Amino acid sequence: MSGPSWLAGGLAVVMIATAVYCVSRLVAAWRWRRPTEYDVDGVHVLMGVGMAGMLVPRLNSAAGSGWDIGGAAVFGAAMAWFGWRAIQGYRGGRAGPHAVAHHGQHVLASGAMLYMFLALPSAGAGGLAAGTAMAATGARIPTFALLLALGLFGYVIWTTDRLSSLAPATVTVMASGRAPVSAALSGPASVSITSSGQAPVSATRSGPAPVSIAQPGRVPVSAGPAMSPRLAACCEILMGVAMGYMLITML
Amino acid sequence: MGDGIAASSATRLSGGDTAARAREASAGLQGSWAAPDSRRVLQLALGGLWLLDAVLQYQSAMFSRAFPQMLASAAQGNPAVIADPITWSARLIDHRVVAMNAIFATIQLLLGLGIAWRPTVRLALGASIAWALAVWWLGEGLGMVLTGTASPVNGAPGAVILYALLAVLLWPAARDRPSPFVAGRSVGTGAARLLWLVLWGSLGYLALQPAVRAPQALSASVSAMASGQPGWLAAADSDLGRLLSHQGLTASIILAAVLVTIALGIYLPLPAVRAVLILAVIAAVAIWVAQGLGGVFSGSGTDPNSGPLLVLLAVAYWPARQATAADPAGPAGPAPGSPM
Repeated sequence: MSGPSWLAGGLAVVMIATAVYCVSRLVAAWRWRRPTEYDVDGVHVLMGVGMAGMLVPRLNSAAGSGWDIGGAAVFGAAMAWFGWRAIQGYRGGRAGPHAVAHHGQHVLASGAMLYMFLALPSAGAGGLAAGTAMAATGARIPTFALLLALGLFGYVIWTTDRLSSLAPATVTVMASGRAPVSAALSGPASVSITSSGQAPVSATRSGPAPVSIAQPGRVPVSAGPAMSPRLAACCEILMGVAMGYMLITML
Repeated sequence: MGDGIAASSATRLSGGDTAARAREASAGLQGSWAAPDSRRVLQLALGGLWLLDAVLQYQSAMFSRAFPQMLASAAQGNPAVIADPITWSARLIDHRVVAMNAIFATIQLLLGLGIAWRPTVRLALGASIAWALAVWWLGEGLGMVLTGTASPVNGAPGAVILYALLAVLLWPAARDRPSPFVAGRSVGTGAARLLWLVLWGSLGYLALQPAVRAPQALSASVSAMASGQPGWLAAADSDLGRLLSHQGLTASIILAAVLVTIALGIYLPLPAVRAVLILAVIAAVAIWVAQGLGGVFSGSGTDPNSGPLLVLLAVAYWPARQATAADPAGPAGPAPGSPM
């Protein structure tokens, strides 16, 4: 089974746009020391590119030259990395249950990518039309593909449920005082105030705003909606829906 | 936290604590997100099913003429007043099947995400009721309940009407009514029990219709589901079909007895209700397997059929600690940023 080619093409465009956005997050985080999760944004870039290549094989110049094996290796490693992060957070008790679930989400998404790379046609995918690469083989273990899709949909719903509690904008300010303070105020923006070289203090007023951690030794920075956790969560929702769709079309 | 900014003992944070908090913060995981209560969990499950429906609706078979043909087949056996609008809508869709199906799938996608996003939960649940009623008529021919051929095994009374029923029962009322189960909090315990009785009682009635209790009816219905399924499901449906062969009447009577027991059991004392609900879940899972999981593996399934919805319904009736809107710490407590 496959989806219509125009839909696969449209999804590929969305996935590439998502990957480009995640690259911009990485660049902004590196260049201006804005808070982000490097591993999550990094794997989102790879997922966006990987899914676009599977949805529209003509875009994939690496088809037939170890694309499937390379992709499987990359996402196998990503799965192991996020699995380790989740276990580490659970055992250490430092990160909350949400963070463990957050890493679990990436374990599942990386696992879904690994599965799809393993199910891809081993060669010649570059010559196939959009949306037909997956149809060429179908799911090797369709029940497993369905379970993966259901798990991804579950995470999409869970992420959407939390969306309104995530800050739509993040502002980070460097303070000159000795005592570091990080404050999250009520309202839609997250504010973080730190002094160099110190761990920030968390203080919260009512409201759904997360705390951001500023890096020491840098000029004040302000990250607007473009770097917000809410927009990052929207990326996860988009990728989850697209990945679930791809798995369903493989059944 | 209080109103004023109260600096806490951050200087005591270890590096690991800070790093963990940084990760949570940068992921936007800190904040006042309230864990979903039992009703919210069920709402999210309902949203997830709408999302699954949407993705199934985006399959390529739905963009072909097979889709309007499938819709038109729902008119067969229905009275003219029901059938004519079905035929009319199927023709309309046939003219612009790609655009119409894309719209339908997108509506379902928005319903699923809208239920999951707290600010729009009421809007999405309300819209889902309207959408489900329209699809029940124009897409499922009222679940074929007027044709004499509807059976619990083939999805009666229509999977989509169960979405509407769940939306009503899981409605986030401004003031919850006291009820021993989630389903009674919006409409009241008595009304919720009556809806359960009507649903499962009607399933019991439908199981005894002449066309359903015919010697080979159930067997043929179940066996037909084996085609195109994964090995384990095909084997299960084939075996069940063989087991039911020429046993239509006996199987229908047993099925009806189970369904009526479930229907009436909601009025029993609480411990017995739990047993009845477990029986309902088992029956729903068995029906779902007999339905071939709604044909989701076939490429032409538009939804997972009634099995998962019946399970969800049974969970909504599970007796739990009573909580009302006046108990903010309890399951009924509204979540921040949410009208729930």
